[in-house]
Amino acid sequence: MGETNFRVVRIVLLAFLAVWLLFTLFPLYFMLVTSLKPVEEINRMVPTFWPESFRPGNYAGIFADPGSLKSLIDSLIVSFSNTALSLFLGTLAGYALARWMRGAVGENLAFFILSNRMFPPVAILIPMFFLFDATPWGTDSYISLILLYLVFNMPLATWLMMVFFRDTPRELEEAAYLDGYTPLRAFFKVTLPLVLPGMISVAMLCWIFAWNEYLFANLLTGSNVKTFPVHIPTFTLGSQTLWNLVMAFSLVAMIPPVTLFIILRRYMVRGLSLGVVKG
Amino acid sequence: MSTQAVPGDAAADADDARAFAGRPYPDWFKAKGGGRSRLVSWWVPTVMVGLPILVIVCIVIYPTVWMFYHAFQNTNMMSLFTGNWSPVGWANFATVLSSDRFHASLTHLAIYLTFGACLQVLLGTALALILYEFVRSNVLKTVLLILLVLPMMLPPSIVGVLWKFLLQANNGAVNHLFIALGFLDPTQRIEWLDTDLALWSLTMADTWQWTALPLLIVYSGRVSLPPAIYEAARVDGASRWLVMRRLTLPMLREIIAIAFIIRFMDAYKFVDKVYVMTSGGPAQSSELPVFIAFQKGIREFQIGEAAAYAIIIFVFAAILIVLFLQYLKRVLKAQGL
Repeated sequence: MGETNFRVVRIVLLAFLAVWLLFTLFPLYFMLVTSLKPVEEINRMVPTFWPESFRPGNYAGIFADPGSLKSLIDSLIVSFSNTALSLFLGTLAGYALARWMRGAVGENLAFFILSNRMFPPVAILIPMFFLFDATPWGTDSYISLILLYLVFNMPLATWLMMVFFRDTPRELEEAAYLDGYTPLRAFFKVTLPLVLPGMISVAMLCWIFAWNEYLFANLLTGSNVKTFPVHIPTFTLGSQTLWNLVMAFSLVAMIPPVTLFIILRRYMVRGLSLGVVKG
Repeated sequence: MSTQAVPGDAAADADDARAFAGRPYPDWFKAKGGGRSRLVSWWVPTVMVGLPILVIVCIVIYPTVWMFYHAFQNTNMMSLFTGNWSPVGWANFATVLSSDRFHASLTHLAIYLTFGACLQVLLGTALALILYEFVRSNVLKTVLLILLVLPMMLPPSIVGVLWKFLLQANNGAVNHLFIALGFLDPTQRIEWLDTDLALWSLTMADTWQWTALPLLIVYSGRVSLPPAIYEAARVDGASRWLVMRRLTLPMLREIIAIAFIIRFMDAYKFVDKVYVMTSGGPAQSSELPVFIAFQKGIREFQIGEAAAYAIIIFVFAAILIVLFLQYLKRVLKAQGL
């Protein structure tokens, strides 16, 4: 391929990238602009692409509704409890699978646990709806959400922790055994520090999935417990949706995952690709 | 790749066990049991793996069995609470498989999977490689990557809300952007969420959000390829196109396949944006099988029929999952994990 030819190809492909970038950013830009508009401006017949008057107060205005703060707290409670539980169970099982069950049985168990991650939730949700109804805590509670989010988070945590443990050299642990460490101490003093970065990324990933979850929360809960994805569409005034508040709240809720992604990008990629891409 | 544990290295284990003899360890730690000596008693790993299995039995297996049972009963909400349902054989499956609603939803699913999931992976791969190969500055690469991945960080339901807002026919931002750019007559409006386009709008919103996932995976895969090979190719005077076709793409094949599979499995259970953006409408024009199953179960309380839907979906998912996991096993073997 000649050098001029290559230059043309390069420009065409970069233009494609630029077009896609605009397609990606335009909705986000419009979100930001809408979140800064006053109510009178959002439902005009011709929308403005730059606000005529700025209302940064919208961001404080979200919290005029007491439900907003509660929805964030609910989301935090559910996502953190679920992450802790997923990570605890996942680390235990992942370690056992990586160290002591390397045969065909362990292999199949690991794949069985992972398969639950890809399971369509439709077969789970309807029975659980009626099952939780019969329990003392009921459907509309933190416990039901925390337990149900294990469906997709625990298999992921188990699988990834297994991959991370397999990646750490067994010889270090054996050296610790020879120095008189018990398996428990060897685990905490030798292996755990080695897998800690991986563990943090698993925690972040589980946390983001639980934080962004909508379907289970929408169908099971709604009055006692209301996570923010369920709360956001309820910003209305009569029949009019308060799009500026909806967009402001969405942007606020987007901050933690984006921050985590920027900091822990490389680890997160490994988690998102089920441990295949080393990042 | 760091060093790996050698599975089933019985000789080494036996050595370890000998080294521990006579030391004050707790009972559960001492080497004992069957043909192969162990560092810990058999029940320690059993409990460690057993806990998640127990959780899965409670929250996945139990509901699935429940669904299997009710797929063959004429259960609805009333009979569920009074407890008098009766078996109807395959009637629920017959109802589902012969209903036009189900056939239409299969067509929708096919459109969504082709122009949603597949296109996302192709686009994501192309964009990732363009970004890596043609953007020169490293800082710019990172910034662009973060910008391109931003949509993925929004909750899917909020993406649905956002696109519903952008695609309003009368005063939506997209229509007015098209007018401002001259693609559209000022009196014209594209009815994005009408019967003809609702499914496509849904697919577009999904593509907007999830192209980032294959992009991120393939980009990271490309970053992790060894630079020495590219040095060698450059020294040998291979053209860029040849390097791309003969080196990069073959080496990324497995990673692209994994990205495709991950995307496909998520797309298969895709339902949250349907709820928020269109609720399956207008006139059931954007319903997917999973969505109908939810509607039947939770809104219309036709539990038996919903269960039949769920089982049909489950069977297809099970086939896909088995195929996927076999491939994943191969990939991991190749990587020595």
